Order: sequence, then structure tokens, then C-alpha cells
Amino acid sequence: MATLVAAPPYTSTATESANTGLWSWLTTVDHKRIGVLYLITALVFFVIGGLEAFLIRAQLAVPNGQVLSADMYNQLFTMHGTTMVFLAIMPLSAAFFNFLIPLQIGARDVAFPRLNAFSYWVYLLGGIFITVPIFFSVAPDGGWFGYAPLSTKQFSPQINMDFWVLGLQILGISSLAAAFNFITTIINMRAPGMHLMRMPIFTWMSFVVQFLVALAFPVITIALVFLQFDRFFGTNFYAIGAGADPLLWQHLFWVFGHPEVYILILPAFGLVSEVLPTFSRKPLFGYPVMVYSGILIGFLGFGVWAHHMFSVGMGPIADAVFSLTTMLIAIPTGVKIFNWLATMWDGQLRFTVAMKFGVALVGMFTIGGISGVMHSSPPADLQQTDTYFIVAHFHYVLFGGSMFGLFAGLYYYFPKITGRFMSESLGNWHFWLSLIGMNLTFFPMHFSGLLGMPRRTYQYDAGQGIEVFNMLSTIGTLVLMLGTLFGLINLWKSWKSGERASSNPWGAPTIEWTIPSPPPEHNFDELPKITSRYPLWDLKGTVIAKETTYAEEAGRVQLSAKQLGIPMPNPSIMPLITAAGVIFMFSGMLFTDSNMKLAVGIMIAGAVWWIAGLYNWLLTPLEDAH
Amino acid sequence: MALAMIVGACGGEYPNSTFNHTTEFNASIDTLFDKLMFWGTLVFIAVEVALVYVIVRFRRRPNAADPKPVHGNTTLEILWTAIPAVILIFIAIPTVRTIFATQAKAAPDALQIEVVGHQWWWEFRYPEYGITTANEIYLPKGRTVNFALTTVDVLHSFWVPQLGGKRDLITNKTNYLWFTPNADIQTDAFNGFCAEYCGSSHANMKFRVYTVEPDEFERWAQHQARPAVFPVQAAVPVVPSGAGVALVQDSASAMPMAGDTAAAATAPAVDGYWFPREQLPAHVIPTTRLPKGLTFDESLLAQGDAERGRELYSRSSCIGCHAIKGNPMSVSNVGPNLTHVATRHTIASGLYQNDAKHLALWIKNAPAMKPGSLMPTIGIGERDAVRKNTISAAMGGLTDAQIADIVAYLQALK
Repeated sequence: MATLVAAPPYTSTATESANTGLWSWLTTVDHKRIGVLYLITALVFFVIGGLEAFLIRAQLAVPNGQVLSADMYNQLFTMHGTTMVFLAIMPLSAAFFNFLIPLQIGARDVAFPRLNAFSYWVYLLGGIFITVPIFFSVAPDGGWFGYAPLSTKQFSPQINMDFWVLGLQILGISSLAAAFNFITTIINMRAPGMHLMRMPIFTWMSFVVQFLVALAFPVITIALVFLQFDRFFGTNFYAIGAGADPLLWQHLFWVFGHPEVYILILPAFGLVSEVLPTFSRKPLFGYPVMVYSGILIGFLGFGVWAHHMFSVGMGPIADAVFSLTTMLIAIPTGVKIFNWLATMWDGQLRFTVAMKFGVALVGMFTIGGISGVMHSSPPADLQQTDTYFIVAHFHYVLFGGSMFGLFAGLYYYFPKITGRFMSESLGNWHFWLSLIGMNLTFFPMHFSGLLGMPRRTYQYDAGQGIEVFNMLSTIGTLVLMLGTLFGLINLWKSWKSGERASSNPWGAPTIEWTIPSPPPEHNFDELPKITSRYPLWDLKGTVIAKETTYAEEAGRVQLSAKQLGIPMPNPSIMPLITAAGVIFMFSGMLFTDSNMKLAVGIMIAGAVWWIAGLYNWLLTPLEDAH
Repeated sequence: MALAMIVGACGGEYPNSTFNHTTEFNASIDTLFDKLMFWGTLVFIAVEVALVYVIVRFRRRPNAADPKPVHGNTTLEILWTAIPAVILIFIAIPTVRTIFATQAKAAPDALQIEVVGHQWWWEFRYPEYGITTANEIYLPKGRTVNFALTTVDVLHSFWVPQLGGKRDLITNKTNYLWFTPNADIQTDAFNGFCAEYCGSSHANMKFRVYTVEPDEFERWAQHQARPAVFPVQAAVPVVPSGAGVALVQDSASAMPMAGDTAAAATAPAVDGYWFPREQLPAHVIPTTRLPKGLTFDESLLAQGDAERGRELYSRSSCIGCHAIKGNPMSVSNVGPNLTHVATRHTIASGLYQNDAKHLALWIKNAPAMKPGSLMPTIGIGERDAVRKNTISAAMGGLTDAQIADIVAYLQALK
């Protein structure tokens, strides 16, 4: 332990002008820069998804709303769900995977840096592919769950759902490539001495998530390929006229869809498990149990999918089994909540904005967790499923849980990412408005749901006793948007001119805080030797943690990789070119109905394009000879 | 939260509340919900109180010594793994019991109703009585009703929040749902919804349920099973809707067949029951706004002639989809059965009131009244938003005057 506590802190000084032009961003293979790209892109999609939600709430503010047409409403709720799940929360998590995992395990990059860049570019281009149609009123309109047979050609003959079927497959490529990349990275590239049980808890949760992605995404890919073949080539996987059982789609979708929930929440749990100990100055309570419960949640997550289907008539035995397995998940999840409380118990709590978001996750996720147990009981769920009660539940999980955790992580790691603090005063506005806004938006939905309001309805009658709850939800959305605006302004201003941060401004325990803020390209001058779970904390001393200041680090010089003779991967444009070819190939499918020759032409051109890109990529060595 | 829930649970201000004990099904769900609510509230209070305590009590104080580095405590961790597990047992046992109780086979003497989902309306059949109707169900109080649920197109979900939980309509599969409306049920008219997203007008796929006394139900069923009473001379005042007064005569033999011109001169009696319109509670009266730009010359409605309407109806596109028992030209079953359409209180699947004005606008341009509607636009000069064409006379379009005649005919179909 002692070696690292004594390790010299650095502040990056501009000995060499960093290459920050546009070309450097297009060709970067640096995991930190890719993390930043993920962060910015995901926040843009988060704003788009938020505006979609605002339009939905504007329409529902009063009975028989006149803001949107039925078809536009259906496109907006479909895209709000799709955007938030696939384009906002998952990539925000990916931003932290990218930025943090190599730093937390003491590596110089991920295992496959160019594949990492490829993942990002596929995500960006796929995100554009699936988002642009909303501006032309031809966005997917079958729900983010795309239930067959509504999503088949017979009932959705227009191009709308084609964007969805193809777009999700494209995004799946990105997620799967990233998952294998991180699994390999975490298994192979840990610094000497970093046993699995010494790994920072965020990396642990990320590790679990990558396995969930690797096991769950192939299932939805199969479901989507079936649907694509039905839509384009006349197969009969979901064709009801040919006797198909539409429940096939639901089973496949939820075998993916439920683990997906944990893909969305576990990274946030990981971030909060970093934030709470630092600002409590206490080690995470019950680290092994936190690891095991994360694994257990991931494992059980594959055995509960049919609790999304209690109303489809599976019969009492299946209902009972899936009900019980679902209830079981409450145990490891509850353990996490209690362990976080115990981490803070008897601590020295410092309420930075990061800490506030972290603590709010514990409070808000608990509400979502409890309502989750309520619909784990099938008879009760028969009154709750497909109502606003469910909407309330999963927004407490995804906003109060995932987003609050990610915001906590953002405020906590921003100094490491940029070398500057985020503003605490703007951050307080962001936090309090978000907390009030999310409760005002989503708590009344518990009532509108139990009082008989179905989901996904663009209008509702007056005099049904749900007006006041809908109005409150809409007002809450405005507060939430205002809060988010403060967050975005904070991000923008702090990035440009925030207060300078040192290498370890919070007095945090893990090794990413030993290196300068922002870290040099090569991360670590020397790979650290890990001897404990909290290398920077002196758990036997009277002062456990020590914050460093910018002033005391001033003047220290950080040598570049070149000066240190550390070989780093060369930038490459090939991941972007290959990704663009993949998207181009997929877009050819859109023309199969209107012009088969054009469609086949585009697909062949796209295939040649990405294969050529990949060929060039593979023939270029990753690093210069050394 | 619990208190607020309870407040939300009672009172007639919440006409679709899931908390009203109107059936044993709903009562058993609510009993279960109360248990979930109790334990959930307990856990909620425990966690949030602990959280607030921690926030206040352990706030960092200047110059305080760093805390003791506690890594964990096995006893505590076992304890808070075990406590939730025990709580879950208290939830799991009644859950499993209720699952098996509510999903048992319905009693063999239950009233059978076949529910067929369509984009975006409901077909209801009573095989016992030979009735096919749409969007409105009558249930006798105190008798178990067993719904057999199917769909001809996409998935839907059958849900009457006040009467019980929902059950999906799955293509190529029959699902069942049963419950028994309490004999002393307070309210008599309920809203039903489609709860599974099913496309453009998912929000507009509603229905009504009327729980009536067993004798009223019998009269309703006997009446619905018969062909429509027709024609009714416009001048003859129709028996007030829903009065259900049986005129003293042998109505069965006197009942003329619709389209039977020989009987045209006789004013038929309507013997039967339907829910009295003047007693409809406010919450089942639709408030949907009319689409902008769609108008109908209402002065024409008074001049509508039922007989002309029948003749026009029987040779226009209407018969391509609709059936009217007693009208030999009208036997299609693609759209809602219109045999006794005038006894229903809503049209377009609970979207509008069933009156002359709404009927006329509906016939004139259904897709404008209900997004995506598969019923085509019929008014001349109107734009069909689904088929993307404008209706002309050559296409079989109708003028407002002609539509007024058809409205008169439909309003005569008691």
C-alpha cells in the first residue's frame, strides 16, 4: 500500500501541444477520447429523448390534447424509449466504461483500441440512422418493444419500422464489439497484483454488464433477424396468417429485455459505489457481497423475463415460477441498498453534487425497487401492467437510478476527464431541480396508473379522475428540463473555464487518481503494482484519505509517451470508414420494397466498402515497430 | 405514499379505480395489493428514515477525525439478506395462492362471452344467446362471466379496471378471464380499455360494461338475439330509449323483419331492455373532440328518412363490412355488427356518443374522427387520411343528405 500512497502526484503541463484538431478526433483510438465522444454524443441523444418526452407530456397535460396527432404521438413514445435506452443511457455507461476501466485496472488502453473506435462510430452513425426519421414523421411507431405482429409488414407496411429493425441491429454490433473488448481488457490487462477481488467496484459491475450484453444482445439480434426476414423476404416467423405464435417475439424480446434493465442500472450502481466511499471516507461496506450481489443480479436477470408477460396467459405454473424468481432479485438488490447505507454510516459525509446524486440514487431507486416487487406478484400485476403505474416504476429505476448514478459519476469523474471541476453552484441547481422534477413527473403516475390510465394512449377522456395527476406530471417535466438545462450549462462552462483540479481532488482511494488530471495519453508512466483494494488510502493511519490541491502539484512535469519511450497505438481512420460502410450496407435494405436493384446495389457497395476498410485496418500495424 | 394511495382508493371521483371491490377477482387482487403495499411501505420507511438519519447525523464536520475503516460485518449482512427473504415469503405465499385461485377454470355454468379484438374495436359474442354485438357488454349481476379472448389481427388487452385485472388477446390463441360482478354492485356502468399497444388508434379502443339485474339481462339478451325492429316511421315516437317497457302484445309474432316491406306500414313495438341513456353516469359519456374542419349540415338530419336510408345502405359500400340481422343484404362480419346499433350509447369503440350528429360525421369521414380507422371515408369531397384519396360520387361517395338518410336508418335499429 505504502508505495502508491507515496507516489508523486502530477499535474499535466503543456510540454507538448496536444493534437486536438478535428482529424485527431476522427482517427483517435485513445480510450479516454472515445469515452469523451461517447459522453457528448449520448448527452445529445439524451436531450433529443428528453424533448420527445416533453412533447408527449405536452399532449397529455389535459384531456383530449391537441398538440400531437395520434401517429406523431406513437412515433414519439417509440423513439423516446428507443433513444433513452439505446442511445442515451447505454452509451453514457459506455462513456464511463471507456474512460475508466483501463484507468481503474492500471492499463494503457483497452485490449483492442481500434475496435473500440469502431464501436463508437457504429453507435454514432446507427444513432443518426434511427433518429433522423422523426424529423420527417416516418419514425418507428411500434413501441420500443416492437411487439409482433404489429411490427410485421402486414400491420406496419410503411418504412417506419424498417428503421427500427435495422437500427437496432446496427446498435447491437456496437454493443457486442464493445462487450468483447472490455471482457478481454478486464481479464487480460489488469496491472500486476490486481486480483479480481481487488478490482474497483465500478469495473466489477462493468465486467458483469459486458457479459450481460454478450449473452443478451444475440437474442434480440435473432429476434430482429427473424422480423427483418418477415418484413423483407416474406418468411413466416411472426406471420399470423401462417399460424405463427406472436409470443415467440415476446419471449425473445424479454430474454434480451430484462437483462437489458441490468445493463442500464449496474454501471450506475458501480459509479455510486465509487462515489459514496470517497465522500464518506470509508471503504465500501461489504465489498465481496457487493460483487457477488452484482453477479447474482446479472445471473437471475436471465431467469425472470416472463414477468413482463403475466397478462399473456402463460398459465398459473409459469406465472408462479417467474413471480418467485423475480422476487428473489429483490434480495441482492436490497443488499446493495443496505450496504450503501452501511458505507455511509459512521462516515464523514461530504455533500458535493456528486455525493448528492449518489445519495439520491439510494433514495429514489428504493421507490422503483419497491414498486417492482409489487408487480412481481402476477395478480397485482394484472392491474398494473401496461398502465402508468409501470411507467412510474421504471422511470424511478431509470431516472432515479441509472441517470442519477450517471450524473453522480459525471460530477465525480469530470475533474479526472477534463482537469477541471464542475461548478458546485450550478450543479446544485441541476441536482435539486432534477430531484424535484423527477418526483413531480413520475410520482403522480403511480396514481394515474392505479386509477385506470393505460399506457401509450395519445388522448384520454375528461372526467376520469386522472386530470390532476397528468397535469402534475407535465409540470414536473418542465422542472426536470430546467434542471437538465442547468446541468448542460454547467458542463459547457466548466469544460471551458472550470476551476482547475489536481490529480486526486476528492481524496479518492483507487489508482485512476494517482495520475494527472486529465491523464496523459499513456495513462501510467509505469504500470502500478497493486497490493490492496484501496491503494491510495492509509486505512491504518489516523488520516485515511488526503485530497491533493492544484497548487501543490503546480510545476510538476508530465512526460509524454514519446519522451518516455512508451509505444502507443497509432491513430487510424479505418474504424470510421469501416463503420460507415456497415451503415451504408444496412441502409440498402430500406429500398428493397421500392427498388430491389438499387437496394442490392447499395448493399453490395456497402459490403465492399466495409470489407475494404477492414482489410486496410488489419494490414496496418497497431503500433510503430519498436 | 400509503396514505395517498388510500385516499386515491375510495370515492366515486375515480371511476376507473382498480381499488373498488366490484368482483371477487378485484377483491382478491386488492387484498394482495394491500399486503404488497404494507411491506413495501415498511421497507420504504425503514430505508428512507435510515438514509435521512445518515445524511443528517454523519455530515462531515470540520476537524473531525477520519472514521474507522469498517470493511463489513458478516452478521449484519446475513441479517439484511435474511429479512427481505422473510418478507418475500409473506408476499410469495398469498401471491401463489391468488394465482391459482384466479386462474382456475371458470364455473361450468358461467355466462360465456367471446371477445374478439379488432383494430380498433371490440366484438362481443354471447354464444348461449346467439348475440353478436360490439363495444358494449351487458353482464348480469351475481353471475360468473367467462370471457374467451381472441384477436383477428394484432395483440390487444381486455381491461375493465373496476372489475378486475387485464388479459391479453393473442393472435392464434384463446385466453380466458373470468369474474363475478357482485350482486350488490354499486355502480352499473364501467369503462373498458385496450391495454396493449395496437397501433394508431390504440387510445381509442375502448368499450363499456353495464352490470344489470338478471331479469334485465334476460330481456336485453332476448331482444338483442332478435333481428332489428324495422322500419320505424320517423313520425312515430320511439319508445324512450332504455325504458325497457314491454308493450302489451305478443311482440315476437308481431316483430316485422327488417327489409320486409310488406310490414312497412306497421309501427313495431320495441320490447327489450338496454341501459337507460338518461341514467348513464358522466364517466361513460365520451368527451372526445371533433376533428377540425369536418362539418355536417345538421338541418339535414331532421329530414333523414329511415326507409330511404335502408335502401341506400343496402346498396352502398356499408354492406361490405357490416351485418344487420334481418337485412339480407348486410351479412359481412368485417366491421361491427349493427343489428341493434341504436341501443348502444357510443360509436367508434367508445369514442363518441351515439347520436345523429356523431353518426353522420362518422359515416362522412371515419378516419378523420378516429386516426387510422379501417372504415373508409364516404362523404363526397372528403379526404381519406388512411387511403390517401379524395372521395367522389363515382367512387360511391355519399352526399350529406344521403348520409342523413342512413343515419335515420341506423337510429331506427333498436
